[in-house]
Amino acid sequence: MRAMIIDDSRAMRSILRRIVTGLDFETSEAEHGQDALDQLRAGVVPDVCLVDWNMPVMDGYTFITEVRANPAWRDITLMMVTTESEQRQIVRALAAGAHEYVIKPFTPDAIVDKLSLLGLVPA
Amino acid sequence: MSAAAHESPASEDVRAVTEDVWMVLLGEDGGLRPRTVPADAPFDAAAWSAATTISGGWHGVVTVELDEALARLLTGRMLALTDDETATDSDVADAVGELVNMVGGNVKSLMPGPSTLSLPAVAAGRAAFGSDSALACRIDLAWQDGPVRVSVHVPQGGPR
Repeated sequence: MRAMIIDDSRAMRSILRRIVTGLDFETSEAEHGQDALDQLRAGVVPDVCLVDWNMPVMDGYTFITEVRANPAWRDITLMMVTTESEQRQIVRALAAGAHEYVIKPFTPDAIVDKLSLLGLVPA
Repeated sequence: MSAAAHESPASEDVRAVTEDVWMVLLGEDGGLRPRTVPADAPFDAAAWSAATTISGGWHGVVTVELDEALARLLTGRMLALTDDETATDSDVADAVGELVNMVGGNVKSLMPGPSTLSLPAVAAGRAAFGSDSALACRIDLAWQDGPVRVSVHVPQGGPR
């Protein structure tokens, strides 16, 4: 399995990387949504993207809408990992095509549980 | 303007949010202790500060200040640096920015919405607050003997 971690914070990317590499995921990283889109277009297509919401250049919500607009990327699972915790934001993200939503701060188990729910790691 | 827009976050809620963030980031070692500081006393040790602005249904600025050693320790934990590795200033700015992003995002969830959260602004040094803002809430804590301050400021005359 391959995960792309999309977050403008190196520290947060590091935390998420440790969690998913512990599940034997290969990882790639992007600093914002545009960076992630560029990598997808270059052929780096993961099984799951862990996507922050508030990022410079392109935010996570816009990234999700861009991914969902491209049928070639329909198999990519999208999981928001963000401090945005308003119900309105969660509904927007899920309506735009996110499969799951994790609110920061999170425990490693919260990420593992969500990936398990998505069928990306053994339950 | 709704009455809810004039609310300020309760200190105990901001404290709980901060303690949650700390505990999740640092695990068992993440326990914060209360720290007694005279009212109106400027933060005595800030080497790093970070702020994020909440705008929309509620307006306010959430700021985190912490001392140099603590900021570097926190950064090392977040980046899982080994004893041989040293956090750069850029690393510290990144980690402190993510810290205020998490605290600020959770303070936003306590207040009336919908609101947006700005990207964090990080500075080396004490936070400065404009004369058009008023302190709504301040908590002083300590972790590993290092001081941490979380403040919430609102526009002068109350949140709007």
